This record gives sequence, structure tokens and C-alpha cells, in this order.
Amino acid sequence: MAVPTVCTTQSLSSTCSISAPAKTHLGFHQKQVVFYRRTTKRGGGSCVITCSAADSQTVVIGLAADSGCGKSTFMRRLTSVFGGAAEPPKGGNPDSNTLISDMTTVICLDDYHSLDRTGRKEKGVTALDPRANDFDLMYEQVKALKSGIAVDKPIYNHVTGLLDPPELIKPPKILVIEGLHPMFDERVRDLLDFSIYLDISNEVKFAWKIQRDMAERGHSLESIKASIESRKPDFDAYIDPQKQYADAVIEVLPTQLIPDDNEGKVLRVRLIMKEGVEHFSPVYLFDEGSTISWIPCGRKLTCSYPGIKFHYGPDAYFSNEVSILEMDGQFDRLDELIYVESHLSNTSTKFYGEVTQQMLKHADFPGSNNGTGFFQTIVGLKIRDLYEQITSSKTAASLEATKA
Amino acid sequence: MATLSSLSLAAPRATANVPDSKNGGLVKTPYLNQPWKRVSQMGSRRMQVMRPVRAAPDRISEKVEKSIKEAQELCSDDPASGECVAAWDEVEELSAAASHARDKKKDSDPLENYCKDNPETDECRTYDN
Repeated sequence: MAVPTVCTTQSLSSTCSISAPAKTHLGFHQKQVVFYRRTTKRGGGSCVITCSAADSQTVVIGLAADSGCGKSTFMRRLTSVFGGAAEPPKGGNPDSNTLISDMTTVICLDDYHSLDRTGRKEKGVTALDPRANDFDLMYEQVKALKSGIAVDKPIYNHVTGLLDPPELIKPPKILVIEGLHPMFDERVRDLLDFSIYLDISNEVKFAWKIQRDMAERGHSLESIKASIESRKPDFDAYIDPQKQYADAVIEVLPTQLIPDDNEGKVLRVRLIMKEGVEHFSPVYLFDEGSTISWIPCGRKLTCSYPGIKFHYGPDAYFSNEVSILEMDGQFDRLDELIYVESHLSNTSTKFYGEVTQQMLKHADFPGSNNGTGFFQTIVGLKIRDLYEQITSSKTAASLEATKA
Repeated sequence: MATLSSLSLAAPRATANVPDSKNGGLVKTPYLNQPWKRVSQMGSRRMQVMRPVRAAPDRISEKVEKSIKEAQELCSDDPASGECVAAWDEVEELSAAASHARDKKKDSDPLENYCKDNPETDECRTYDN
């Protein structure tokens, strides 16, 4: 891969020589500063030669959701779309929250807590409160990573509740920042190329947390309920408003197909996609911009109870123009999945059946049989498409610049 | 005396501290007469030595339990206070950490983990052609 490197000398002296290799041990995507000291008796000036690789563009994706709402599952699906499994950095802190794969690095925004667990307890402040987070540091480091500079990011240890010594993060091709506040600070919001918000309704959240915590000693239905209720004011004040800024919102609600259902197994999932976002074209059913109600089960496809119901249409969401694709029900069989996929348009798949293949690859992940997994996979493919569009447009622009 | 020595010869698993029995006849060694007792005693002794090392999920589970009790105490006076809210937030954080630890433990295969760090050892070599 030919990497056009642009080196500029910022010195007036003509005796400086450029001796910067294109590749260092720190990798391609590195802004590299080489200091060369002129050895004369006059006591030297030094020239600064900065070389930056032209393809050091990092695409930054933001993912917001409350704790226990499926961020980790989404992350695993997203990194799998790009290939490879994301793993914690080798040889580092075993309690690190960072995940690294070939193309992506996932940073957990809990690492930017300014108060550790004892600090928050003293002040009576939750992790949801902006006072517990250092947004200045978050902005500085995300900006640095976006421009191709490695950073020393702090680590928040969830086990001990303390802030551990920092770890080195090298700028990746795709940086994903996931946590409670990726879109809270305006400066960080402007750095994001794409943002997603996982909006889980209260009933579903309660059902999921029961599933997660009932196996835990000490927890009871009352304690789970109390935990959700007491965090709700902070959540509504600080986290929930972020959904108006998101480019895509995955809203999870209880099903409408089963009357009085309170098990929370069958879900109604709505993918709310903002119109007019650069490099992002919403998924649609049959006819873009029209309103469609679709039940795929019938003569060609037999589904078991409660079946599947789709809805697509334009709408307004927090005064933004959006398109909403909605799925209610569950996938029981492979042919249901592939049938539905073949009728959707603009899914950004590279081959027929890619969504189904990705869903099957991770059939053990939660949500693999309903809209949560389905839409998460589609959003993953959309992000891949967005990344390819951005990189191809940037290389085209730089090639034009070198030609001119 | 002859019986004693024959006993010790015939039962090589008998421990060295076979008590000197003046009665002759039945030797009152708990290990010889009830070998299952010996095994369990040895087992419990071994377990006592291992106690300081605890698996991470258990540690987190204890933390979760403790934090729930604390939160319930703090909130009994004033459910809307900052301390109460912060306490329940801590419970949520620890529950999430416990759930992640359980998932990690479920997925991890000890051989795979070892081979990830040491691919050149004999157990981990793969021959693809």
C-alpha cells in the first residue's frame, strides 16, 4: 500500500536534512516529529520536520446507552462486521475496559471519570452526573486520536472503583467511544462521524436487569427495582437528552403483538434514522419515503406465534426529519431472516444474505432472534459503508492535492 | 506385635503415626478403619491452604452483596438524598461488573487462554499443511 507522506520543514536553515523513515515502531497512522540538531560551534538551532501520513484519518463513532443496555453486545457485533475479534490490550492492565481489533479500538468513556467510587460516594453524585466526568480530557484525547496522535488514556477499574495508571492508545482506523456521555459535550459531539443511542424503555430495562441480576447473591426484585428508580432522575436529566443528537436511535419497547405481555421476551424494536446525515443513507422497505406496513408471514412464509410485523415511514423526532424502520416479533427460522433481508433496501450489504450470515455467526448473543440484533447488525454494516465512503473520499482529495 | 506389623505391611497407605496399641488386635487408627475419613481430612486441609486465593467473580459477588446492604441502610432514612442515589448507582456498577466477569468466565477456555500468550509451546502448536 503506497502511503503518500508529506514532510514539511519548518526551519529557515537550509542545512537541515530530512531523515525521517515512513514507518516507525509506532505504526503508520502516527504524526511523527523528528528533531535534528545542527552541530555547529554556534550552539545549535534545531529544525523541526513534521511528517504526517496522508491516510491518518480516524473515523470516530459514538455509542450511548445506560448500563446494562446492550452496549457490549453491540460492540461485539460491530467489530465482527469489520472482521476479527476485539480483545483487551495484551500485556496491559487486566481490568482495562479498552478493546482492540485490527480495524477498531473501542474506548469506554468510564475511563474519563474525574471522581472514583469513593469520591462519588463522598459527594453524593452518581456516575451519570456530568460532575463525575472530565469532559475536557475526553475532548482532548478524542481530538488527538482523530488526528493520528497516540494518547495515554486513564483507566477506570470497575472492580476496585479506582482510577488506574494510564495505558497507551494508538490511533486506529475506527475509534468507537461507548459510554454514558459520548454526545453530552458539544465539542466531543462535533468530533463524531456517526452516533448511535440505544433507547431501552423502562419495562424492557427492568426485565433485562432482572435477567442479569437475579443470579447474583444479595439481589432481590426490590433491590433491582430500587436501583433503577433511584438512578432514573439523573438518567432522565443527563443521559436521555442525548438521543436528540444521535444519527441513529435503536428504541426497544415491549411487543404489541401479545396483549398484556410482561415477560419481555418478544420485543418491538424501532430503528430511527436521521435524514441528511453525510455518508449515511437510511434503510428502507419497498419505497423510500412512503409509509409501509408489512407482515411477511403468509402464503410464502410461515411463521410461528406471535409472528413478525414491520413498519416503515418518515416521521419527525425531536424536530429532526427521520425515517423509522420498525420490527415487532421474533425470528424463529433461518428462512424468515433471509426472507426479511431480501425485501429490505439500502442495507449496505456486500453480498446477498450478509445480514443473515452475521446474525447466524453470533447466534449465541442476546437479541439474535429479534429486532435488536437485526438492527444492530444493519447499523454495523452502515458504519462500515460510512467508513469506506470517508476513506475513499479522503484519499481522492489528497491525490488531487498532490496532483495540483 | 506380629499382627501390627503385618497390618502395616498389608496396608501401605497407612500413615506413619500408627499408634502403638497395647491391646493387640484391632488397631484404633481412624485412617485404617475408615479410609474415607482420611481422604476427607486431607482434602479439607488442602482446602484450608488454598483459601486466600479467590476467583474474581466471587470477589465481585461479595462486593455486590455488601453494596446492596449499604444502599438499603443509607436509603432507609432519606430515599432522595445524594448518598442514597450514589449508593444505588454503585450497586448498579458492581452488578454490571459481576455480570461481565461471569460472561468472561463462561467464555474462557484455559487452554485457549494459555495458547494465546504462548503459541510456540508444544501443546499449542498447530500444523496447517
